[in-house]
Amino acid sequence: MNLKRKLNANAQSPTQIGLGPVPPVDAINPESQEGEPSRLHTVIAAAERRAAPIFLLPAVLALLFLSVFPLVASLYVSLARFKIAKGGFTLTFVGFNNYKKLLLGSEQTHFLGAFAPATFATWLVFGMVVVALAIFLAKYLLKAEVSVGGLIGRLLLALGLGRLAWVFTHTLWNGGRLGTVTVTLVYVFVGIFLQYILGLVLAMLTVQNLPGRRFFRVVFLLPMMITPVGIAYMFRMLTDTSKGPFTPIWQAMGLTNFSWVNNAWGARTAILIADIWQWTPFMFIVLVAALESQPMEPLEAATVDGANQWQMFRYITWPAILPVSMTLILIRLIEAFKIIDLPNVMTNGGPGTATQSLTYHAFINWRALDVGGSAAVAYMLLFLVTFFSMIFVNLIRQQSIEKL
Amino acid sequence: MVKRWFQSKSYNTPSPVGKILSYLVLSFWALLILFPLYWLIVTSFKISSQVAEGPFYIPFVDFQPHLDAWKYILVGDLSNDTLRTFRNTVIVAPSSALLALLLGSTAAYALMRFEYRPRVGAILTFIGCVGLSIVAIYLGAPWQVAVAVAFAVFFLLLLTIGRRFQRALGNDDIAFWMISQRMLPPIAVVIPIYILFQRLHLLDTYTALIITYVTSNLPIVIWLMRDYISTIPIELEECAAIDGASRYRIFWSVVLPLAIPGLVATFLFVLVFTWNEYLLALFLSSANSQTLPVVIAAQNATRGPQWWNMSVLILIMIVPVIVIAMVLERYITRGLLIGAVKG
Amino acid sequence: MKSKHMLIWVLSILTVFGILITACGAPATTEAPAQTEAPEMTEAPVMTEAPAATEAPATEATGKEFEGVTVNLLTFVGPQVAEPLQRRGPDFTELTGATINVITVPNSELYQKALTDMATGTNAYDAFLFAPSWIVDFAPAGYIEDLTPRIEADPAIEWDDVAPFFRDFNSYDGKVYSIPLDGDMHMVYYRIDSLEEAGLEPPKTWDDYLNVAKTLNGKDLNGDGEPDYGSCISKAPAQQSYWWIWSIAAPFIQTQGSSQGAFFNTEDMTPLVNNAAFKRALEIYKETGQYGPPDETNQGVGDSRGLFISGRCALTIDWGDIGPLAIDPENSKVIDKVGAIITPGSKEVLDRETGELVPCDETTCPYAVDGVNYAPYASFGGWAGAINAAADEKVKDAAYAFLSYMAQPAQSMADVVVGKTGYNPYRISHFEDTQAWIDAGFSQEAAENYLGGIEASLNSPNMVADLRIPSNQKYIQVELDRILAEYIAGNLTTDEAAQQLYDAWEAITEEVGRESQLTSYKATLGAK
Repeated sequence: MNLKRKLNANAQSPTQIGLGPVPPVDAINPESQEGEPSRLHTVIAAAERRAAPIFLLPAVLALLFLSVFPLVASLYVSLARFKIAKGGFTLTFVGFNNYKKLLLGSEQTHFLGAFAPATFATWLVFGMVVVALAIFLAKYLLKAEVSVGGLIGRLLLALGLGRLAWVFTHTLWNGGRLGTVTVTLVYVFVGIFLQYILGLVLAMLTVQNLPGRRFFRVVFLLPMMITPVGIAYMFRMLTDTSKGPFTPIWQAMGLTNFSWVNNAWGARTAILIADIWQWTPFMFIVLVAALESQPMEPLEAATVDGANQWQMFRYITWPAILPVSMTLILIRLIEAFKIIDLPNVMTNGGPGTATQSLTYHAFINWRALDVGGSAAVAYMLLFLVTFFSMIFVNLIRQQSIEKL
Repeated sequence: MVKRWFQSKSYNTPSPVGKILSYLVLSFWALLILFPLYWLIVTSFKISSQVAEGPFYIPFVDFQPHLDAWKYILVGDLSNDTLRTFRNTVIVAPSSALLALLLGSTAAYALMRFEYRPRVGAILTFIGCVGLSIVAIYLGAPWQVAVAVAFAVFFLLLLTIGRRFQRALGNDDIAFWMISQRMLPPIAVVIPIYILFQRLHLLDTYTALIITYVTSNLPIVIWLMRDYISTIPIELEECAAIDGASRYRIFWSVVLPLAIPGLVATFLFVLVFTWNEYLLALFLSSANSQTLPVVIAAQNATRGPQWWNMSVLILIMIVPVIVIAMVLERYITRGLLIGAVKG
Repeated sequence: MKSKHMLIWVLSILTVFGILITACGAPATTEAPAQTEAPEMTEAPVMTEAPAATEAPATEATGKEFEGVTVNLLTFVGPQVAEPLQRRGPDFTELTGATINVITVPNSELYQKALTDMATGTNAYDAFLFAPSWIVDFAPAGYIEDLTPRIEADPAIEWDDVAPFFRDFNSYDGKVYSIPLDGDMHMVYYRIDSLEEAGLEPPKTWDDYLNVAKTLNGKDLNGDGEPDYGSCISKAPAQQSYWWIWSIAAPFIQTQGSSQGAFFNTEDMTPLVNNAAFKRALEIYKETGQYGPPDETNQGVGDSRGLFISGRCALTIDWGDIGPLAIDPENSKVIDKVGAIITPGSKEVLDRETGELVPCDETTCPYAVDGVNYAPYASFGGWAGAINAAADEKVKDAAYAFLSYMAQPAQSMADVVVGKTGYNPYRISHFEDTQAWIDAGFSQEAAENYLGGIEASLNSPNMVADLRIPSNQKYIQVELDRILAEYIAGNLTTDEAAQQLYDAWEAITEEVGRESQLTSYKATLGAK
């Protein structure tokens, strides 16, 4: 720290070091540099100048401490084979073996899915996706400023989405089976979409001036507070069609001899329902806080001007909560990819492997001491999440650029 | 007269029809939430045969309630485990949440108000040194020495080569890096983190758990607080600065109070995440610092899930969090910005 | 404004408080954690919900020879298996002065916890109560202590009373590494009353089993007016499915005694799964699903056990737990109605040369009884106690003394008759002493029936040992489990499933090394 201070002390010249902006491009007070003669004031002024790094450094250091080693270690493990040996364990480097197994080898059916011969529907959907991506690329190329970085980024995007669409369309119909990648994607996107809509609707309703709304707010928070393992067991109880509370309804529908656990999509739906139940409160509470933080003036002014509810929402509320919503969805996106407790407890990944998520896949490998294979799946998950997050973040950036 | 049913008194108070619709939707969702919880409560008063024989809904009417599960958990065989883990959870979770909130909101404020330009050169040099230290450790050097040497090399390089590459990243990239820490599923990093804390002799302590929870939840705090802070008009801070307040004072007295709804919401999240975290708690703790979620998962015994015990444990776990939520909910209300800017 | 300041003050105080606590938390626990925890454990109220059993004190150690020693014992959360340890811990302390600190974790994570602890050199645990099939991983790596010398020097444990099969199972490469506290093998349980009513005999072969299941499926077996099930075998993935299939397949595949093995060919380590026998077993397994509850594919053994005990199944397959559970007056609806038999066998067996099924005769089935080849499958083996080789000598001695105490006939008899303990019989004296069972609540017939089933299974010369070679988890819990789940879900045909399993197992064998696997496999089969 001392070394850094000394180096930063001569901070008038553009000697930029790491994180410390020099001079601090201060949003509020560009004049904050002027120190005063007395020693105390020098210290205070110094602290003031260093405010920027001081504010950020603890967080960065904390993250660095716990992120570097595990990240690198698990990367190495994913390129190795784990074995128990005398005195501890051994990690033998095997290169990309683990990854090859997932994408091309014995784990391919498990990971990507069982491919089926293409049907008309396959070509139709895949065709539509290709066309959409082509339009997207074309629009970009036709714009005036095209940079190499931007072009490469978009090409990668197109390739990635195209490949995923290929896998998806070939495993969805005609006897194909979805693999853990595609099942996870279904959980993530369908889940988040429904969670957001529900959260928004509920938030808007409870922000209104309704007597008793505090009761609803607290109640709506409850699902998030239950430990995920607990929720998984709870839904296992609820969805039990022979002992659970909905048994009479199930029997009344004549389905006594049929169980949703035997149907791939039935099982996935059950998990989605539990997931939505669990995470809508997350969306709900953030949106409530955001809605509550809106300044009232524009809304009051709009009412005076005679705007109706929909217009007020569309032109005032929506832009105001958009940034928070984007953050919210990004956070939830990253979390949702890691879903494990629900498939593990509710269906054990069944029927067959129909409800297994990527983390579950990593988990079974890990349990069987295939730590290398487990790390490989985890890294594939990382790539997938990074891919989608970057798309999303760039989308946000585009939005905010267009605003200006 | 009918028209009045559709008229709202003010922009925030719905019309009578609107009120009814709202209540319908809200009550429906509340029912959806409360019914499973009711089922949990009812199950906690059952014994094995009452669960196996099909759904019984109302105690004393449908079935005879038993206190077996409650006794077992609170005063019986499991009570030691329950009370100890409960105490541990109560200690670890709120302190991690508060610490994360503190570090995270300062970082979020910094990311919104300062402009950082971490240079690519610096970052690459850092990564290079990390790689070097790993190779050194692999080749047998003691890790303390390797890390220290790597740090020294890093600083040296920073002053020399690092200066050459002026291309810099921005605040958004820092933020993205932070949130990317959450992308890897915990299962992949459990063993490395275990080994890390083992070397530091911190296994089975509160410290290890708190550090882990703080760092894993920091990205979320930062991202959420960034948005909340951005809604605070900068003019307020400018006023305070003109009045002579230092950066720290502005943050503490102006920004934080205004960001209270966001702070409270974020605190609740992090509290909930750390309260309920399972995998890392399982591995980093042993006899002393085990937390409650581990005990819940353990109710899936070899003879099958003990639904009644689980229900009791889940209920015990929720109660403190609900109480805190109820107390803090009032702070997530509007009204703190009234007249702040224009007045 | 005031309330906000208050809030901030409160939060800051809490933060500081939190930091102080963590600062205080660290030093206290970096000293031997066991020490600080020990006093709490001995103050734990002694839970005796088990029927009061006469406990003979350990007839070995003299007085407080282990004063001040603490043993950290890792197992999974009870009450099964952990409760007797926790209950007898204080008694042991009385006798020897050693404190037994039982640490529990969820069952599914026990293996990982034990492994990480020893593989990384943390060694926070001195002893483990886990599955003996795991010693095949831990023993060659030198993690656990060889107990043979200690056992030889300890007459009180009455090692010869332990059924030979379990003695073998807790050994590896000729040395004993764990002490059994529980004996596990599969048996088929049936409803005596329902079968009698329908004029059916308890099934001798798996075809009989299917027949009984089919006949009784849909009948009301517990008098509540609802149709019940012929057979309850839980089939959820990642549960016990991969064990049940072997109970079905074993009698088709192994005929020449335990050293012939049922998983691999002992000449070239090829899996014995791509043949008519295993395929027939797969079909039988799938067919039992037709006579069971509709959500059987999402059930674990806990669920199917619960169903049987509440009277909703005519047949089930399970470890020894159903015996004591069935006589529980509070929870059981089938008291005195449950019979236990050795797992059904087969009249046709595998010809390993051709891969086809051939009828049973003196050469193909030397151990056949009435023309039926039985091969009871000792799946899982039963919970056993092992000792961390890296612990202190004194601690190891104390740990051994405790395990021995738990395993001695007096204590173990008291524990195996109570269902709640999760300990099933493993000593010859356990099933010779019918009186102890009757005292525990069995009726004469029920006791004889249950013990008879166990005895028949344990005395069978053709018992199948669980697979104990390196990477056995990959063979069984990853590949077999997944393929079985896909097969049951209807995504694979029988031939496809058998072929895929063969290929998957071959891939693992190739990866680990065929020669070394063959050596290990033969060692576990012939180990005495």
